[in-house]
Amino acid sequence: MLLVLSEEHKEHLGFLSEVDPAVVGEFGRIAVEFLKKGSNPKIYEGAARKLNVPSESVQHGVEGLMYLLTESSKLMISEVDFQDSVLVLGFSEELNQLLLQLYLENRKEIRQILGKLAPSLPHYHNLEWRLDVHLASRALRHQVKPTVTLKLHLEDGARHSSHVLQTDPATLQHLIQELERALAELKSNHCRRILRNIK
Amino acid sequence: MRFRFCGDLDCPDWVLAEISTLARISSVKVKLLCVQVIKDLLDEGIDYDKVSKLTADAKFEIGDVKASIAVLSFILTSAAKHDVDSESLSSELQQLGLPKEHTTGLCKSYEDKHSALQEKLRESSLRLGRLEAVNWRVDYTLSSSEIKQVNEPTVQLRLQAQDPETDSTETTVVSITADKFRVLLTELKQAQTMMNALQ
Repeated sequence: MLLVLSEEHKEHLGFLSEVDPAVVGEFGRIAVEFLKKGSNPKIYEGAARKLNVPSESVQHGVEGLMYLLTESSKLMISEVDFQDSVLVLGFSEELNQLLLQLYLENRKEIRQILGKLAPSLPHYHNLEWRLDVHLASRALRHQVKPTVTLKLHLEDGARHSSHVLQTDPATLQHLIQELERALAELKSNHCRRILRNIK
Repeated sequence: MRFRFCGDLDCPDWVLAEISTLARISSVKVKLLCVQVIKDLLDEGIDYDKVSKLTADAKFEIGDVKASIAVLSFILTSAAKHDVDSESLSSELQQLGLPKEHTTGLCKSYEDKHSALQEKLRESSLRLGRLEAVNWRVDYTLSSSEIKQVNEPTVQLRLQAQDPETDSTETTVVSITADKFRVLLTELKQAQTMMNALQ
């Protein structure tokens, strides 16, 4: 499937045809760095001064490249489709090849980064536990009641939450059995058939 | 194959794999690395420069350095957790394929710091809501807006405890009348006698 680029996007990328292919290569590298670590506006200033162009054009050029890469990686378009989509911009053959290389080399990593942006539920971070024996209370002496105290730490992006739970050994056994049953479900025929078809 | 230092369970596969990584550096260096790892486990801070100097000769990559620190931490904490004596640890590690000199060095470090490690693990065991401080004050109420002559002693208790879920300190202030306080004191003394009987 072809990427449809908006007019504004084409204008921003049009700047790239006015500079050396080496510079485009450099911009490509900066775009990938920004995708991995976040953008750094000071780099735009430096590059603009060296090329004698307003820093806005540099910024638009790099951001246009970033958007092109993310959209192509997101949709996982094939080489042919990528080349056709880029043809629209009217770049030289060398530039097209350069952009294609950039796309193919970084596609997997960009997809990994995009994967982390999806909303998620809090997930397991750590579990601390403690086995106690309840010997006596104010109301009743001479008891022997084993209890297991659990502290479940969950992580949701940057937020950490912890939950304190208490159970007796019989419930804990039941819990373990249910979880093992859930794990064993993966090995059932039904799940295996689905997983085979997805892969 | 059940190992005592793994708590009578199978040894994890990654430990087996990383033991062969450990065998690549000389036994003296393994002993020094052990010392660093023990310092880290006892929260005394690990000197990463020394670690990289020790592993530089065997040309360890960053992944290998992390793996060797991880496997040494695992072996030492597991052994302390399950209270394994150093001869059993030594024979089990040799069974797993760690050369004799490396094992002797490791077990010597383990034996030296055995009780310190266990103390540290005991301290970091799960505890809910520790009591941090208790302050008290005895007042004598002379009169109030309700009745002219009150003449009653009261105790004001300030308890500073740690909240189990958020790990922050919470202050509770209570004021107790003389009778209620006597009941509280008797009950707490009974609990104390029970605790002393268990010591």
